Amino acid sequence: MACSCMMPPENQSLSRCEAARESIPSVARGFAAAELAERGLEDLPDELVSNRHLIYSSPATLAFNSPGAEGFGVKRAGLAIPGSVMLLVAPGCCGRNTSLVSDMPAYRDRFFYLNMDETDIVTGRHLRKIPQAVEEVVDCLPQKPSLVMICITCVDALLGTDMERVCRRAEERVKLPVRPCYMYALTREGRRPPMVHVRQSLYSLLEPRPKRASSVNVLGFFSPLVDDCELYGYLGDLGVREIREVSRCVDFDEFQRMAEANFNLVLHPEARFAAADLHERLSIPSIELTRLYQIDRIRRQYMALGQVLGATFDDEADYAAAEGAIEAFRTQMPQAVFAVGECLNADPFELSLALVRYGFRVREVFGTVGGENFVFVRRLAELSPSTLVYSNMEPTMIHYDAKGHEVDIALGKDACWYHPEAAGLAWNADVQPYGYAGVRRLFEALAQLVERPVGPHAALAVPKEVGA
Amino acid sequence: MRGLRKFLTPFAPDQSGAVSVLFELGGIVVICDAGGCTGNICGFDEPRWHTQRSAVFSAGLRDMDAILGRDDKLIDELADAASKIEANFAAIVGTPVPSVIGTDYRALRRMSERRAKLPTITVDTTGMELYDVGAQKAYLALFDRFATRELPVEHGRVGVLGANPLDLSCIPPAVWSLTFSDVVCAAAAEKNLVVAPSGLAAAKLLRERFGTPYEFCDGEGFFPQKGSWPMRDSSTLGNVLVVQQQVKANALRDDLLAAGAATVTCATWFMQIPELAQAGDVRLREEDDFERLVYEGGFDTLVGDPTLWRIVPRFEGTTIDLPEFPVSGKLVAMPEAKGSIPRGAGFPDETPGGRP
Repeated sequence: MACSCMMPPENQSLSRCEAARESIPSVARGFAAAELAERGLEDLPDELVSNRHLIYSSPATLAFNSPGAEGFGVKRAGLAIPGSVMLLVAPGCCGRNTSLVSDMPAYRDRFFYLNMDETDIVTGRHLRKIPQAVEEVVDCLPQKPSLVMICITCVDALLGTDMERVCRRAEERVKLPVRPCYMYALTREGRRPPMVHVRQSLYSLLEPRPKRASSVNVLGFFSPLVDDCELYGYLGDLGVREIREVSRCVDFDEFQRMAEANFNLVLHPEARFAAADLHERLSIPSIELTRLYQIDRIRRQYMALGQVLGATFDDEADYAAAEGAIEAFRTQMPQAVFAVGECLNADPFELSLALVRYGFRVREVFGTVGGENFVFVRRLAELSPSTLVYSNMEPTMIHYDAKGHEVDIALGKDACWYHPEAAGLAWNADVQPYGYAGVRRLFEALAQLVERPVGPHAALAVPKEVGA
Repeated sequence: MRGLRKFLTPFAPDQSGAVSVLFELGGIVVICDAGGCTGNICGFDEPRWHTQRSAVFSAGLRDMDAILGRDDKLIDELADAASKIEANFAAIVGTPVPSVIGTDYRALRRMSERRAKLPTITVDTTGMELYDVGAQKAYLALFDRFATRELPVEHGRVGVLGANPLDLSCIPPAVWSLTFSDVVCAAAAEKNLVVAPSGLAAAKLLRERFGTPYEFCDGEGFFPQKGSWPMRDSSTLGNVLVVQQQVKANALRDDLLAAGAATVTCATWFMQIPELAQAGDVRLREEDDFERLVYEGGFDTLVGDPTLWRIVPRFEGTTIDLPEFPVSGKLVAMPEAKGSIPRGAGFPDETPGGRP
């Protein structure tokens, strides 16, 4: 059994002895919210800072390591424009999991690949092949695409490829818009990570049009808000007739009409740069809103939005509906204990804070602490100082064992993975919960969840409408 | 156009092949990437990852790490992980990033052994070759580094090389899975069985080092389709084209000929070993190669991964679906482990050091 006794003599000097192994604690490192608040953002433990350790690979980290495998990564986002296709120019490994996306009906026959080899890297000859490859792709399609996205990866980031120039050459050849998008995982924690850049690239296609005061864009997500989101009604009350989201555009022409907007509502921070570009290039100003699950904060945010727009929103009914859903669940399960993950449609710390403020207990949070959400960690520390914070990516998470971590409900795909015995709600559907409607839907889904028997794979058993 | 794929997604790359070999051995496996390669390897090419915990890590490289060549940072992080996780060894697996920046793997290995105090192997995969090349490199690196001790040969003990999910297109039963003990005690094997071309180089190394003979698997017990063809009327088989990894394709050739096929041609997207190839067998590289082969080859029956059929919509013969995991990422049913391969007798089957 012991490695050292099996190890050839010349390797035994390198093999650690059994005694040393036994001294390694098999425990995942978590930190109490109170400790984090006391240490402050500048003094986070190394375990919670992703660039200070190796990134542990588990199903809970798939969304980090391979954003395209779940939800929207660069590949799916790059095809947000109706009728567009993508040519992925990269080593074969970069496109390997694309069949997860291309198997979806909406993406069938929209991905093409130009595989690079070592000679391409040394000579850069792949760049000369791209215009011809684009032409061959366009020619093989029964209908001309509206746009060809050229997706390049880490290799071209290191080579410093000028893909804008290559795209212009391809455009001349096929007489279609050809745009680059950069799946540069190397720059993921930089100022303009790939998901920021892909939004800039998409909205750079908008051409100037006369403004319409009754037109507003919602930027941030690549899928629509839930249909019953109150935001649509509030904007309608202001006289807005066209509320455009890229995911609801039926064709390229409708997408182009986003250039008519009077202003942009930015619902995700990754769309900030794209909004700034649109302000500069098309003179469309923007207002940024945050997704929240604390209903008093949602109300305050709508009041602030109303002040900016010179209006007052009547949110009584929506507020009451959300509050009613919370109360109904609280009646059902007043002592519910949660584990909250980050693979879900929420900031895990803001959601945890909301749950604690509604009277529930949050035992642990699997999340990435950063400048944007540390304010929620501080507040959480005041109300629930013993809540433990784990990083999905930290090496000791290989030891995480749900035994002894009593949890009734796991929220988020990652938390469900850690807690297979708990009732699980993935809450990570493409369609985006937002505002009071998001809160109401969440608690309605929780109420439905606890009505069903729990057990292994409970998360997988959640019906689609509940997951949404 | 060379390299252009209009129908097929890229096949499993070399780095996935390497991790497939290393996954169950109880080491710390560090994929030297920015994250995306690890996501592809684990989330798509490693079916065991969803149910088994293994110490597989991404180096989490960032642009400045690559530009400045911060190998010391990587090794510090590896040493940190080694201080928290039980492991037999460390393995550093390459991707396009270290390939482009010219990482010195030998230096990484030395630094790792000094700092992490773990025996370390490196696999210089690039993400640009196919899975079998990476698996071959991993087998070679493992046996070269750890199979160094002469042991008495144990009668009936058989080493199995190439039995990983990518080569078999199924999750191999534990009895066929390589363990670290198997590697260290390779000299005790009476013979080695090569199940896929990826295992051949290691088999040759072991023959050279210990005199252990090897033979190619005839498919019995390893490939679930053998002997269970859905074709009831063998007279309709006619001229058959089988597209699979070469050892499996050859095993199926015997089966199909016995079932009444007029001729069987074997083609593969992966390694083709000359000594296993028959006249007319083909190594495929591009979609165009397959299209030409099918339309000009006069075949009545095609056996292969169903994603291939999109390339040849005008083919009017019979197609028999046989998923090939490195092609489409689809697994076939797991064959039942048979007791005919008495591996591990007298040796611990579980990985030394243990894992959660």
